[in-house]
Amino acid sequence: MYIDPTAGSLVLQFVAAGVLSLLAMFSRVREGAKSFFKSLLPGHHRWTGKP
Amino acid sequence: MDWQAVDGSFRDPSGFVYIRNSTLYRQVNQPFKASFDAFMASGLYDELASAGLLVSHREAPADAAATADACAVLEPERIPFVSYPYEWSFGQLRDAALLTLELQERALKRGFTLRDASAYNIQFRGGRPVFIDTLSFEPRDEGAPWIAYRQFCEHFLVPLLLMSRRDIRCGTLLRSHLEGVPLELGSRLLPRSTWLNPNVLFHVHLHAKAQARYADVALNRPNGRRRVMKRDALLALVGGLRRCIRSLDWSPGGTEWADYVDDNSYSEAAGRSKREIVARALAPLGAGTVWDLGANTGEFSRIARKASSQVVAFDIDPAAVERNYRRVRVEGDTGLLPLVLDLANPSPAQGWAHTERLSLEQRGPADAVLALALVHHLAIGRNLPLERIASFLSRLGRALVTEFVPKDDVQVRRLLRNRADVFPGYSAEGFEEAFGRHFRIHAVHHVAESGRTVYQMTSCHAFA
Repeated sequence: MYIDPTAGSLVLQFVAAGVLSLLAMFSRVREGAKSFFKSLLPGHHRWTGKP
Repeated sequence: MDWQAVDGSFRDPSGFVYIRNSTLYRQVNQPFKASFDAFMASGLYDELASAGLLVSHREAPADAAATADACAVLEPERIPFVSYPYEWSFGQLRDAALLTLELQERALKRGFTLRDASAYNIQFRGGRPVFIDTLSFEPRDEGAPWIAYRQFCEHFLVPLLLMSRRDIRCGTLLRSHLEGVPLELGSRLLPRSTWLNPNVLFHVHLHAKAQARYADVALNRPNGRRRVMKRDALLALVGGLRRCIRSLDWSPGGTEWADYVDDNSYSEAAGRSKREIVARALAPLGAGTVWDLGANTGEFSRIARKASSQVVAFDIDPAAVERNYRRVRVEGDTGLLPLVLDLANPSPAQGWAHTERLSLEQRGPADAVLALALVHHLAIGRNLPLERIASFLSRLGRALVTEFVPKDDVQVRRLLRNRADVFPGYSAEGFEEAFGRHFRIHAVHHVAESGRTVYQMTSCHAFA
């Protein structure tokens, strides 16, 4: 590393990474929930717990 | 010492560029050996070089090394004319930014990263940008953020935003800020409406705030745990930057000179006559390189291109240069490079000890200089004495094809319409006397249906 990345720039990237992780987690939870409720409807396979 | 360092490459300790016996070399220093070997073995170099994104090289013999700590010596492909970001049009800077992001994306996918994102790592070859710093790639530490993110924003994103959203002339900030336009300055200069754009808000405004907020903060956690940034998050960051830059546009219209080709004072016969004269003047020169000064959108540059392998087309008007660049991209002309340059204040030697970035003159001489419909703008529009114009042009190229536009020409009358004529020496005789001191005049051609004259000359300057 021969250039200074500056602390603010690094912090901002970690914030971005955190936000992206949260969005990805919400997306997984939402897909899981959708899958679960679909499984309760008649004619659907039993919910396996996997999205 | 039988080699000479290229002074734009000394900041990175991993290696440097030098010239020995007129051959350009890049030395890789011992401490960077593992990274360089990994880069070459990964297939990333082959992928990028074969796609024309990275300049190719061949391995040179070890005895070509400049110093004892060399672990490898490369002989990179040479770029015909070195240009700088402050000489590029909007589209050129935008294409250079997109190339940098594409390289970072491809590198990330192979477990590597760009450890710098300087705009000076890009040159134009064949009408397209190419990355020239082979030593910018290194294996990525798992979980590491992009070290060069701030540099990318300051070298590319901020200038492009300012040019697009504030004023195209903000591009000249790159000339005074060789290490990029500071985020904080960009944030202050951008219109308030840009705070509503999520990408600009994040990459510029919040980035600038974070810089100020964490300026004196060490990021090591007390418990020794390391913050981690996953590769997918980095790819998303690069994707966001790419979307932001792709969304930027600037329309090169409405300036006086960008419309000059369609709206000039020539009759059809005069235009044809001038084109024939210029083509005849350049053909026997066998010029490898031609510099077309005041090239506008490149009409005569394309005539010069038929007689030479490389034409650099300079113009003061960013709109004219942008149009020329877009045309080059469409035509795929690999030997024409449009650049923004004010000849009355040409690119100086600058950077550390005046040596990092070369002046226009230091990048010459060209085999031939074309200066058509230019001298009257310098002499009358910018108050430069004819003798000084002749002196400078004689140092730029070995041959000169230039044009004298008399005072009764509509273009000169336009320059004088609201000012006193304080140019008694501006006449054909004065022109020939001034240029005769620095050139040997070989031929004089009168442009049909016009009072204009085209001169063919050879410089008397003793080039090294």
